[in-house]
Amino acid sequence: MSGWTLTLKQAPALRLDLRALSPAALAGLSADAVAKFGVWHGNESVALGELFTITARTDDALHFEGDLSRADRIGWQLAAGRIHVDGPVGDYLGAGMSGGEIVASRDAGLLAACEMSGGRLEIGGNVGDHAASALPGSMDGMRGGTLLVRGSAGARFGDRMRRGSALVFGDAGDFLASRMVAGTIAVAGRIGAHAGYGMRRGSVVCAGTAPAIPPTFVTNDANIAVFWQLLARDLARHGGAFASLPARRVQRHLGDLAAGGKGELLLCV
Amino acid sequence: MELNGIVIDDSFAEAFPMKGTRLVITAHNLEWARHAAVATTGFATSVIACGCEAGIERELSPEETPDGRPGIAILIFSMSGRELAKQVEKRVGQCVLTCPTTAVYAGLFEGDAIALGKNLRFFGDGWQTSKVIGGQRYWRVPVMDGEFVAQETTWVTTQAVGGGNLLLLATDTAAALAAAEAAVAAMKQLPNIVMPFPGGVVRSGSKVGSKYPTLGASTNDAYCPSLRELAAKSELGPDIGSVMEIVIDGLTDTDVAAAMRTGLKTLIERGAASGLKRIGAGNYGGKLGPFLYHLHKLVPGMAEGRS
Repeated sequence: MSGWTLTLKQAPALRLDLRALSPAALAGLSADAVAKFGVWHGNESVALGELFTITARTDDALHFEGDLSRADRIGWQLAAGRIHVDGPVGDYLGAGMSGGEIVASRDAGLLAACEMSGGRLEIGGNVGDHAASALPGSMDGMRGGTLLVRGSAGARFGDRMRRGSALVFGDAGDFLASRMVAGTIAVAGRIGAHAGYGMRRGSVVCAGTAPAIPPTFVTNDANIAVFWQLLARDLARHGGAFASLPARRVQRHLGDLAAGGKGELLLCV
Repeated sequence: MELNGIVIDDSFAEAFPMKGTRLVITAHNLEWARHAAVATTGFATSVIACGCEAGIERELSPEETPDGRPGIAILIFSMSGRELAKQVEKRVGQCVLTCPTTAVYAGLFEGDAIALGKNLRFFGDGWQTSKVIGGQRYWRVPVMDGEFVAQETTWVTTQAVGGGNLLLLATDTAAALAAAEAAVAAMKQLPNIVMPFPGGVVRSGSKVGSKYPTLGASTNDAYCPSLRELAAKSELGPDIGSVMEIVIDGLTDTDVAAAMRTGLKTLIERGAASGLKRIGAGNYGGKLGPFLYHLHKLVPGMAEGRS
């Protein structure tokens, strides 16, 4: 097969930009060619072989091992294939990915899954601010696919999110789903201040402690049982605190009224 | 051929390719799902004048539906995909969207996509919202009992077959009706088929053409007992006082054949004492439809009945 395991030799002095690395880019290369493959370290191009110990794999996945918290843009615009990271990663993990799968076993930095449009991204630990959101100057954040955060998420999670499902098994920071356009966010733990700030549409499922409902949201008790069953059953597939959702009832709060009010905070009771 | 005293004509049913889809209608309880399903499949006996042929396929338990409520599966068939899409939109819009507590989902997931809730959503006047769940898009339209949830699209099979049929020739109307009821009840147990006529039975079997130039179809005089002595060529002997026809539409050729086989088996098992004397089938000489179901080959215990 054509997969590779890249084990970091030592922590790099500067940020590493690994956007050029994908299973497809390295498929079919010889071990020599992979070792000579250039990536950016600060403002200089460095051969992969200088940074990583490179071993061929029996499958076609791309594995990283080591403390990659200074390695940014892993899985940048990934379209297909599997990337596995055994260790913490830097910023922009899985940003712009449209397909395939990325599993990072530990924490991820800022802007993970931002503008992701498809595929599956799983983060075993915590994720920094602005995950599932938009790049600076962009109108839409995450626009498809599935993001799973096993730990907690920072602030502005799902900012400007337009489509897709993002699940946080731990807590979420302030301004969750700010300016959200559409899509689904589910949080199993606590939620910070100003949830749904400026959200236009979309659903935020609060499966844990009920957040403070912002004053620009209104309570609505209309029957949405059909939709809730469809959504809850889908979220339940991911297990954990979400497994019991189909059996729970929801309290619905519509908002942000300052942005049309078609979004909803769904509090599970 | 004579089985259990019933004559099986050496004849065949001639059927046509159609486009078909399945819809799943759920509701607060089975009764309301049925109200919607009955209305949606109303006035859908024949494409000749209804635009489509439709019927209730079966009831669905809460475990079998996407939202965990009881439901009904219906099948709708048309001669073209375009007409089918038009019929689905009109019927679901007028009969499901309007029916209390209902939701509607695709029941087929292969073939060409046609709009299901895609255009009905505009009833929401801008308040409608959509959600992609498990790769499928659903629309939520605010209505007076909460919201109407409809999957955006359903899918159409081009493998569907319309016009499988059996002719039941009996001594009198009571015997013909009883035979038809028994056969319909047995065939209803099968998946992927519907019998679109009222109660599954049609008493006005037709032939192609008419003495009136504007009419494309007219009464099948060869099978009318009242014309036994008058028609140029009657198919009925003196022992036949009433004839009923069962028409079957299915999602595939195999489904129609299986239904006809089940119908034949049920009728033959009842025996001639039931008043059923002969079983025939309607065809156009075999020149019009590509699907021919020969009765002698369908009779239980015999192999494939198609050619």
